[in-house]
Amino acid sequence: MAEPQMKDDQSVETKSNRFKNGLNWLWSDYSVVIAFIIIFIAASLMSPRFLDINNLMNILMQVSIIGIIALGMTVVMLSGGIDLSVGSVLALVGVLTVTALNATGSVVLAVLSALIAGPLIGLLNGLMIAKGRIAAFIATLGMMAGARSIALYIADGGSISGEVQSFSLISNSELGIVDYPIIIFLIMTAFVYVLMHKTRFGRYVYAIGSNEKSARLSAINVEKMKLSIYSLAGLMVSVAAIIETSRLNSISSSSSGQLYELDAIAAVIIGGTRMTGGRGKIIGTFFGVLILGILNNMMNLMNVSTHLQGFVKGLIIIIAVVFQKRE
Amino acid sequence: MAYLEMQSIYKSFNQVPVLKDVTLELQQGEIHALIGENGAGKSTLMNILGGVHQPDKGLIKLNGQAVEMTSPKKSQEYGISFIHQELNLVSDLRVYENMFLGSEIRNKFGFVNVEEMCRQTTDILTKLGVHINPKEYVRNLGTSYKQLIEISRALLHKSKIIIMDEPTTALSDHEIDRLFDLMRNLKEDCISIIYISHKLKEIKSVCDRLTVLRDGKTVKTGDLESETLDSITHDMVGKSLSEDRMIEHEELGSTVLKVEDLSSPEQFKSINFEIKKGEIVGFTGLAGDGRTELFESLFGYRKNYKGDIYVNGKHVIIDHPKKALKAGIGYVPKDRKENAIIQDLNVIQNMSISSLSHFEKNGFIKGKLEQKKFTYYKDQLNIKVHNPRVTIDKLSGGNQQKVIIAKWLELNTDIIIFDNPTQGIDVGAKQEIYQQIIRLAQQGKAVIVLSSEALEIMKICHSVYVMYQGEISGYFKGEDATEDKIMSYATGSKKEAVPVG
Repeated sequence: MAEPQMKDDQSVETKSNRFKNGLNWLWSDYSVVIAFIIIFIAASLMSPRFLDINNLMNILMQVSIIGIIALGMTVVMLSGGIDLSVGSVLALVGVLTVTALNATGSVVLAVLSALIAGPLIGLLNGLMIAKGRIAAFIATLGMMAGARSIALYIADGGSISGEVQSFSLISNSELGIVDYPIIIFLIMTAFVYVLMHKTRFGRYVYAIGSNEKSARLSAINVEKMKLSIYSLAGLMVSVAAIIETSRLNSISSSSSGQLYELDAIAAVIIGGTRMTGGRGKIIGTFFGVLILGILNNMMNLMNVSTHLQGFVKGLIIIIAVVFQKRE
Repeated sequence: MAYLEMQSIYKSFNQVPVLKDVTLELQQGEIHALIGENGAGKSTLMNILGGVHQPDKGLIKLNGQAVEMTSPKKSQEYGISFIHQELNLVSDLRVYENMFLGSEIRNKFGFVNVEEMCRQTTDILTKLGVHINPKEYVRNLGTSYKQLIEISRALLHKSKIIIMDEPTTALSDHEIDRLFDLMRNLKEDCISIIYISHKLKEIKSVCDRLTVLRDGKTVKTGDLESETLDSITHDMVGKSLSEDRMIEHEELGSTVLKVEDLSSPEQFKSINFEIKKGEIVGFTGLAGDGRTELFESLFGYRKNYKGDIYVNGKHVIIDHPKKALKAGIGYVPKDRKENAIIQDLNVIQNMSISSLSHFEKNGFIKGKLEQKKFTYYKDQLNIKVHNPRVTIDKLSGGNQQKVIIAKWLELNTDIIIFDNPTQGIDVGAKQEIYQQIIRLAQQGKAVIVLSSEALEIMKICHSVYVMYQGEISGYFKGEDATEDKIMSYATGSKKEAVPVG
């Protein structure tokens, strides 16, 4: 039979071909890293203050909250879903945390209640999506409106401040020159990275995002997985909410977390995750977050009007997607 | 002279010849049956006529003039309409909107002229003898009406040739009669119909002439009057094709799977069968016979069914594939691309996706263990892959299928179901997959093979069930099975009570 031999074309791969494939692989899987390096170099040429270590730490500090949310968002989007509720949930969890803090006077209990509230709300999202068969976009859109409204109700539309000063130590302490939020962001990145690339959970997420029917026929419990995925996203929001609240020891029920979902989705998309799921990397999101942070920082250093910053961000997102389409 | 002539058509896909010197002649105002087994080349031939595919060689003449069908649009301009098995209507639009989709009548301001379109729609529908409000939404209509709308659309485009692919599969007897009356009326108006069907009785009652395809060749063309059901069946399956059976009669073990009175609304009803250790059981029939739905239910992918399933004598309730797996049932689905492979995972990950617990240590997946196991299956199943870290869609169909089989071998279930295991696979790989199936049975597994290819079933099965419209219409021992026999039960021309137990 000539047939099988012909199809085995991988064996006739030439050396130059392999080099080209290598480049292709680098480009398709890590184009965001290349983009990061280019933007980093450009930034350091354009502004001498950029490379200052304090400035660099400042950037990391600023992106840590969105970064942690974006990690959860990556997992959700890899599974083929989306979570629009993250910003509102951050506000709600923040309000609940401060309320718990003031009621009990205990930082530990406040943190614990935050870490329980977020995943519970995530679980609710998951239930609507997996059991109620509501499209993720719609279910989390509803949660976005609902969570914000409850946060406003509890805080009576305003901000509430913590009465226990030690709570603010979480975001306002440093290890050497590295702020705690940065460390938490790095640890969370490592945690989600390991989860996605070394465990069964991660493998199933990719499988569901790639082909849900095949995944189900491979005896994966897709519904249960979706509950876990949205709960994990909720957990990430909890961590972000603790940092956000602890920064000023206060949370605003109306403005905190506003539009965070868009920044998180932007970071995930810039990081190369496919909108329809199945393809993307945690490392990509990490660098996507950094790119957004550098851009903001650059525009501040160069005195670009804050009103124009959204325009630049939008442009970058669209360029990123155009480049990914080329595959 | 014939109105349409397709002369010496050749067509290959990926160097596999599908049509070899096929000739079809269609007279004006006749109903011409085009028949053949699955894979005989009927669809390819009609797709060439419809402008979807281009022939490698050959000539199409319309009214004596050579024409080239370079696109579906071109074909439509030549007056050819193709009514597919899955109807091409937009169910959220109204009847007249569907009729004029893409060719809306507009007034001088550029707005659509609803009245005119409704009027023309009503005209045509009345001519066909049906009364439907042209402003009705298509989703509210029954299947037979949808079919009528497709036909009306063909008439609206002033089609001279209408191709109908299995138009009666979703229709009741009463509706079929109405369709046939309509077809006879069209014939009077000098419209020619090419009628593709497996149902020989219907063909006999409505068609004038026939062309039989087998293995991409025209084996018969002529008047239907001189033919009998048996002679047509015989032409369809041929006799020289039979190859040797690959299995001997073997001693079978105890009953592993027993199914009692399994039914699902509109899919299948009263299914009873059992299968023993070491046995290969074949299920065959025509498209739409319900066998895939039956086994998807048995595997827990579909939940809407009633009946009892016993595995090794124990009653089991299966409402999720996970439970099926736990009960010891494995399932290699059909339509590999949609149901089996996970395109974005690499070859090794596709092999291990259902059995990750075999490769875990302390909750982490050990890549080395996966790699080692894959190398084992790669040798055992002769999977040809240079770098198993490429995504699985880079592999050829046969190799993809072997990876999916490896996935289920790793799970080591007592019962394993193969749905259309050799779909789109070249001959060499086919043989290897047959051998693997037989090896599984020899190891004492109970194997179920679903296939529409009678030859395949006869080659490797100990016993054969034939399904027709959701019911088991025939059962025989593998050595007694012949293609003629299978075909006559599958087309519903014969039916017998199935021995239970």
